[in-house]
Amino acid sequence: MTIRSEDILNVDPKPMSATEAVYLPNIIKGFGTTMRHFFTSFGQGRTSRVMQYPEVRREHLPVEKGGQHGANFRGVHRLNRDEAGRVKCVACMMCPTICPARCIHIQAAESPWDDREKYPAKFEIDELRCIYCGMCEEACPVDAIELTTEYDIVGASRQEMIFDKEKLLHVYDVTIGKKPM
Amino acid sequence: MPSWITAQLVVSVVTIAVMIHVMLICVAYFVMMERKVSAYIQDRIGPNRVGFDFGLPPLKFLKGCLGLGQPLADGVKFILKEDYTPNRVDKILFTLAPIIVVVPAMIGFLIIPWGGVWQCPDIHIPFTELVIPGAPVNVAGAVFNAGIVYLLAVAALGVYGVTLGGWAGNNKFSFLGGLRATAQMISYEIPMGLALLAALLVYGTFRTDSIIQQQVDAGWLIFSQPLVAVIFFITGLAEANRAPFDNAEAEQELVGGYHTEYSSMRFALFFLAEYSHLFTSAAFFSLIFLGGYSIPGVGLTDPSSTSLLAVLVKLLSFMGKVVFIVFLGMVVRWSIPRLRYDQVMMVAWQGLIPLSLGLVLVNSVLVYLDMATFLPLLLGNVALGVVTLAFAPLLKQSTVNRRIPLYGSRFSPMPGEAVQTSPTHPMARADG
Repeated sequence: MTIRSEDILNVDPKPMSATEAVYLPNIIKGFGTTMRHFFTSFGQGRTSRVMQYPEVRREHLPVEKGGQHGANFRGVHRLNRDEAGRVKCVACMMCPTICPARCIHIQAAESPWDDREKYPAKFEIDELRCIYCGMCEEACPVDAIELTTEYDIVGASRQEMIFDKEKLLHVYDVTIGKKPM
Repeated sequence: MPSWITAQLVVSVVTIAVMIHVMLICVAYFVMMERKVSAYIQDRIGPNRVGFDFGLPPLKFLKGCLGLGQPLADGVKFILKEDYTPNRVDKILFTLAPIIVVVPAMIGFLIIPWGGVWQCPDIHIPFTELVIPGAPVNVAGAVFNAGIVYLLAVAALGVYGVTLGGWAGNNKFSFLGGLRATAQMISYEIPMGLALLAALLVYGTFRTDSIIQQQVDAGWLIFSQPLVAVIFFITGLAEANRAPFDNAEAEQELVGGYHTEYSSMRFALFFLAEYSHLFTSAAFFSLIFLGGYSIPGVGLTDPSSTSLLAVLVKLLSFMGKVVFIVFLGMVVRWSIPRLRYDQVMMVAWQGLIPLSLGLVLVNSVLVYLDMATFLPLLLGNVALGVVTLAFAPLLKQSTVNRRIPLYGSRFSPMPGEAVQTSPTHPMARADG
């Protein structure tokens, strides 16, 4: 398609004034701005925007100062347990269906318990593929899968970052104090 | 004792040996200073973790140290990384380029008179009867009549390394960077030489020691020749390939510029050369415009005081000025965006060269009329500045960079011409 000339909008800057045309006065004015920032943020001063990360973390700060909002934060997944300590998931396949990154893999099996028909024999989430959108949490009919407030997970290999059922249940055990069900 | 071994020779050798190490350490810490200054300017903190504890528990009290161990860690990293030579490069030039770029940067400081004159005592060589007779010596690598010319000549050699590095890498982006550097260096050497000529017309000498003596007598040149100082500072930045003139290594356009293909210590040499250039040009600027080591009102920095203490005080004052100028260069780098390539050329050919030609004219007329004292010189500079301000708007300003219709292309067809812009390949059409 041809770009018509009436579709072209030329945005010209204003012609420079006499002082602007020699650049130097405005450059010196710019140094003023630079030096103001230099001195006000010197040694983590007033305007410094930095958090000393490993010592200070977002969860230590109040929400209005850029802290973590625990109820809304979408971090690592966990698989919840019910009152009997069993995995709450009923392997209904809602979360792998909705997952846009296709990072949830469930193998359903007949439940050994009387109160449900199926349970996940295998439940794996590839934490490297996951985009942490929280759709699985929304889709889950029994509130079995949830996103926690943990964000600093590491692994030495890709295989290590595929969390299986035991690991996801362990995340539940660790984070239940921080984020109740 | 052979007569050519004099106290001056001994002191010169010692000065060179000491100052080259001072310079290398300074360069390492300039890199850190650059990171710190840029961090503070951008409201960050900068490197503050690496201390001198080397991960050893007994040295735990040296942890942190405001990140002063960072240059050491950087150096270790550069040495330990793989020194990779790409497959199809010109091996000889590829190896030669970092050497050619670093050597001129490291020998330029030779003529800088760090400590003025020192009344050297007799030097007794241990375990022998030999004595080198004491004499007043210059605490500098060399003080000779063509000192300034030598520095200019050596500084101009640096561009060969940049160009060769860009060429040898067998990479079009490196090559473009090298080409840009060449054109830029040639363009900016002219206003630099002219501004220096304007300053040297006032001094009437190439000797560094008499330049300082004249500034002690008549006041620093920056006060009587502010315009010359500004031009010299700008061209110094351009010669050192510093922002806003770092077109040779414009990351956004040229990947890494002339050193794209370099890794490990060879890359570090390019880095070293850049900061050595900065160091040398800062020392040069302090020498010509800031009175060298002298500070008005401090008796110890007067050229006539020759004690060892005076030498040390002069050295400190000189280094202080150098660090200040380097800091100024860093503030410039983090305040002003990079000029486009045509703007770089425009600043040199349409701005700095006519202006510095005018300065040379004014100064030579003043020198001819025997009026080269403080006030006429300052008035000449101010008058030229005012004239420039008055005439700059009258000059034709460059046009705005705008989309130019290329008639006959499929986006701007000739009048009446039918152009097919939809895809022609059947697979692309099936895609819808």
